[in-house]
Amino acid sequence: MLGALEPPTIGTVTLDGQDPFKLNQTQLAAFRNRNIGFIFQDHCLLPQCSVMENVLTPTLVAKNNGNEDQRARDLLGAVGLLDRLEHRPAELSGGEKQRVALARALIMKPRLLLCDEPTGNLDQKTAEGVASLLFQLHEQQQTILIVVTHSQNLAGRFANRCELEEGHLKAL
Amino acid sequence: MRTSGLIKRNLTYFWQTNVVVILGVATAVAVLAGALLVGDSVRGSLREIFLQRLGQTDSAIVAEGFFREQLAGDLKSHPKFHLSGFIDVCPLIATKGAVSFDSGRGANEIAVYGVDGRFWQFHGRDRRPATGSEVFLSHSLATDLGVQLGQSLVLRVEKDSAIPVDSLHGRKEDLAGTLRVQVAAILSAADLGEFSLQPSQSGVRAVFIALGALQKELSQEKRANTILLSEANCGNEDSRDGIEGSISRLQALLQDTVGLEDAGINLRVLSDEQVSLETESRVLSDPIADAALKVASEGSFRTLPILSYLANSIEAGSKSIPYSLVTAVDETTFQQLSNADASLDQTAPPVDAASSALPSLVLNEWAAQDLGAKRGDRVALEYYLWHSGGRLETHRTDFQLVGVTPITGIAADRDLVPEYPGITESESLSDWDPPFPIDLGRVRKQDEDYWDQYRTTPKAFVQLNTGQDLWQSRFGKLTSVRLIGASGFAAQLRSELTPAEMGLQVLPVRSQGLDASKGATDFGAYFLYFSFFLVVSALLLAALFFRLGIEQRLREIGILRAIGYQPATVRRIFLTEGLILSFVGSLIGIAGALGYGALMILGLRTWWRDAVGTNALTLHLSTQTVLIGAGAGVLAASICIVLVLRRVSRQSTRSLILGNIEQGGVQYRGRPVSIYAALVLAVFGLALLLAASGNYISEVAGFFGSGLCFLVAALSYQSAWLRRASTMPVETGSRWGVWRLGFRNSTNRPVRSVLCIALIASAAFIIVAVDAFRRDSFGSTERKSGTGGYTIVAESLLPIVHDLNREEGREALNLSNTHDDKALTGVTFARFRLRPGDDASCLNLYQPKNPRILAASNDFIAESRFAFQGAVLGGETENPWALLNRVFPDGAVPVIADANSLTYVLHRAVGDDIPLQVGSGEVRLRVVAALSDSIFQSELLMSEANFLKLFPEQQGFKFFLIETPRANAELLATLEERLSEYGFDATSTAERLANYHRVENTYLSTFQMLGGLGLILGTLGMSAVLLRNVFEQRRELALLAAIGYNSSHFTRMIVAENALLVGLGLITGVACALLAIAPALMDRGGGGFNISLLVLLLAVLLTGLTASLVAALSVLKRPLLPALKSE
Repeated sequence: MLGALEPPTIGTVTLDGQDPFKLNQTQLAAFRNRNIGFIFQDHCLLPQCSVMENVLTPTLVAKNNGNEDQRARDLLGAVGLLDRLEHRPAELSGGEKQRVALARALIMKPRLLLCDEPTGNLDQKTAEGVASLLFQLHEQQQTILIVVTHSQNLAGRFANRCELEEGHLKAL
Repeated sequence: MRTSGLIKRNLTYFWQTNVVVILGVATAVAVLAGALLVGDSVRGSLREIFLQRLGQTDSAIVAEGFFREQLAGDLKSHPKFHLSGFIDVCPLIATKGAVSFDSGRGANEIAVYGVDGRFWQFHGRDRRPATGSEVFLSHSLATDLGVQLGQSLVLRVEKDSAIPVDSLHGRKEDLAGTLRVQVAAILSAADLGEFSLQPSQSGVRAVFIALGALQKELSQEKRANTILLSEANCGNEDSRDGIEGSISRLQALLQDTVGLEDAGINLRVLSDEQVSLETESRVLSDPIADAALKVASEGSFRTLPILSYLANSIEAGSKSIPYSLVTAVDETTFQQLSNADASLDQTAPPVDAASSALPSLVLNEWAAQDLGAKRGDRVALEYYLWHSGGRLETHRTDFQLVGVTPITGIAADRDLVPEYPGITESESLSDWDPPFPIDLGRVRKQDEDYWDQYRTTPKAFVQLNTGQDLWQSRFGKLTSVRLIGASGFAAQLRSELTPAEMGLQVLPVRSQGLDASKGATDFGAYFLYFSFFLVVSALLLAALFFRLGIEQRLREIGILRAIGYQPATVRRIFLTEGLILSFVGSLIGIAGALGYGALMILGLRTWWRDAVGTNALTLHLSTQTVLIGAGAGVLAASICIVLVLRRVSRQSTRSLILGNIEQGGVQYRGRPVSIYAALVLAVFGLALLLAASGNYISEVAGFFGSGLCFLVAALSYQSAWLRRASTMPVETGSRWGVWRLGFRNSTNRPVRSVLCIALIASAAFIIVAVDAFRRDSFGSTERKSGTGGYTIVAESLLPIVHDLNREEGREALNLSNTHDDKALTGVTFARFRLRPGDDASCLNLYQPKNPRILAASNDFIAESRFAFQGAVLGGETENPWALLNRVFPDGAVPVIADANSLTYVLHRAVGDDIPLQVGSGEVRLRVVAALSDSIFQSELLMSEANFLKLFPEQQGFKFFLIETPRANAELLATLEERLSEYGFDATSTAERLANYHRVENTYLSTFQMLGGLGLILGTLGMSAVLLRNVFEQRRELALLAAIGYNSSHFTRMIVAENALLVGLGLITGVACALLAIAPALMDRGGGGFNISLLVLLLAVLLTGLTASLVAALSVLKRPLLPALKSE
């Protein structure tokens, strides 16, 4: 619901005053493209595209101002993958794939960054590294960051935390 | 649970994928087995057609002339007849004729059978025979003529001329008998209406007339020219010993039964002591003459070989005696004559004949007195010779008179001359009616007086070798042999002569025909060749889905290996599943094969009837064939399955558990092996093409071999290209970004993509390649073309001996009235002697065992027309026709054939021999050159000299090529009308070529249809692959949906990916096809691309895209986003 992927049965969701579910399907897709970045547990990178191409994927369906390539390089530099631009996902480690997913999620400068178990498939050290990157970029890019996680370590790094208990969200 | 239980669960759980694998295998088996069934069915149908037409006939005795009808009865009453395995006999007359109907419709070259009740009884039919002027018609003939019961027809039949037409004394006109008949019955094929001893698939046009009526019309009372025989066990047709044993038993019976009169041999009793051996043809053939002299020599009989001839004039000085008979005798007799009664001229010194350059001649006293000639004088004989080219020539030879004989003893023998109709029986010279012009104004009273007193007593004698040099012909060099004191000679001569030497031939018609029924064109092989790509498409589809099924179960394979299953055990499980699927598929395929075969046979009977010329084909089932097809299909499918499993076996357990088999991330930065494989295959394909161009391998092998190599090479290259890192980069800042992403998707699963390309490429290959072999049917007027520059081709039922290129010839044929002269101005005729036989072209489905043969004259050879495709090495490159005059040390006779007939019907090449039964022996015909797409596809050609040597009994000319200075539609009609009594049937050379091309083009249409079926398979495969791709990438697609991709973007991506695959498939197939057929295109000048082909290829593209789009959109209708949920 927060990612405007499924409408709420009751209540509303707005982002910067815009209720995305009042838009038609085309407008809704464009809304997500511009405003929301996603990171999933399973990185969902396109296996046939290179690292650079995966990061640029959201820009293909957007009206662009021409400096997407540089922004992609900057983001990949920020996540430490500037030397892997032409590599395919099959040639990357789990942590590297998740960092690419992070760069892809931020390429459109979204207002909202949603992460679903971003470190769920990673070992502890890698998870900590990815988590640090996440916070770092979140601060740099000034996005709203919402993370769903089972990791207590990751959850502990957030100021605002909620817990889902028997279908209800409880603030911690 | 046991492994078998696991396998059973697997098969049922994954039923959706398994069903498609089964269907793929079933299709492959159906096509393989179905193609083989087509071959069986055509062969079986040809056999059935032939056997139905043969009735109860197993063997036949045939003759060029006529023999006693009673010979059949004599055979049957021979004590060993039944012991030899024969059941019954039937004499009949079998000849050719023409029929015309009052409506103006007519038919030439029909079979005419003179039969009586014995014929129907022989074949077990309870039918009242035709009597009087009644006739029965075959259904085909009745349909052609549009005639019904009770209606009248005019029937013309070829009359046998005892005296050769091609000789001085042979009548050149009135060669046919004419009867007005009434249709009393129309007989279906089942009623033996299509009776024929020659195998042919086209309808038999036959007339059955009362034997007596036909005998009377042909002046052959109580005579026949064919005897049918039935046998108790007509050998095992596959047993050479059985066939040969039967022939030799029949020949032995015939040897005992045949009489001299059956060979037209007549022993004319002249006195108690003397008989004259003569024949109905008035000339003794060499075998008969040699046999007679041999018997006489062995029996110590005295013989006098004789050659008598008619001299138009005997001249000495200014005096001349008209129309005198001259006889050539052996040396002893000649010396007796020359020395007889020298007292007649005491003043003349003896003549030293040896020192004279002139041949010697003896006159009888009457002639010497009339001419005032004496020994030593020069005497000239003027006489006619019938030139084989069809004209009468007058020749003159000078002699030296060496003696004058009184008209006594042999010099008074009027029986030295055989009986010539129109001459010898005349009461006076002025009553003579010979078949050549004479000037009765030259006949004097003394000549008539001589005739009154001496009749045919010769007026002059020459030496035998001199006479033979001047007057012998291909029919023989003696007119009679006088035998003195030869009692028992007849019986001894009869035993000396074989039936074959007497002109009677024994034919094992049933076994010969069954052998021919195996077919000249192996339809099974042809349908197999062109179904090959269809089979490949089906197998690719089966392999694709089997692979998809495997990929669906990668985690399962990984878990099995993780929990301790050996890789070999896992492989065995999946292989067993694959084999079970293949087996089930093959069972369904067998049923499909019957349907496929039935459909193909229906097609050959209807839409593609032009290819086979009959609608009498039926489906014939053969268990062996079906099992072979099924076995081959299962084997091929199993190989595909093994190859798929091998690939999976190489994956690590971990990657299998993760579900990774090939993520498209495996990229090559160097040159992969498949690039080198592509290069090698391309080079090999080129080598095959060159080998086919140089005739080192057949054109068909070159086409298929090189086509396959080029296709695999292209696909190998594409496989490497799809795996390259830099293939089709995705770029932003362009409106084509989403399209390029779609193209890039095709690199995700390179193997799958290549399989899709292969499916489309296979279908496109067959459609394009086959279409390029179509031939146009416009006859060229070029001399070096397939028509030789001739515009009309014609055949006649009766031999035309007169030369149509000469004024006197046209006059003799009533072609020279004013109107016809204008029509024939500038028109030239090339004439060919014809030995009837089996059609050697694609129009005949049966194997030609006894091909038609034409004789090419020296004039025709010198003209060097027509285009050639090849000739023997060392042959005359300027004019390959001249090779027909080559002499081979082993006695082979050179012939020329059309390249199409040579390759596809006779299954021979230039330089090969074709055996031919001639009489009782065999002759080897050696192919010295091959014509290129000519009008001679139905026959072989040999030189006229060789033809006359081998087939002296073939008389006159029956095949004509006519060159006209300009297009002349009227000429054709004029010739047919003016020469209708000869059964002259003319058509344009363009139409003759078109008939051949029609067969070929129909084959191509048939095979294109198979390509279309392959296309459908390819399209279905594409849709299935796309469905699978979309399903597998649903998480990625869901992510794209989440980040803003809408249905329009997805549509573009899917269309892009599939447009690339379909487009590559089409381009690959078309390009490989054009390469493979390049030599054929250059050789034949076949039709290039045409609009219909372009439309078809466009339809392929649109169908592929549409089907893919429909399938993908149906998947995309389901929500993608649930795929994002991690739990």
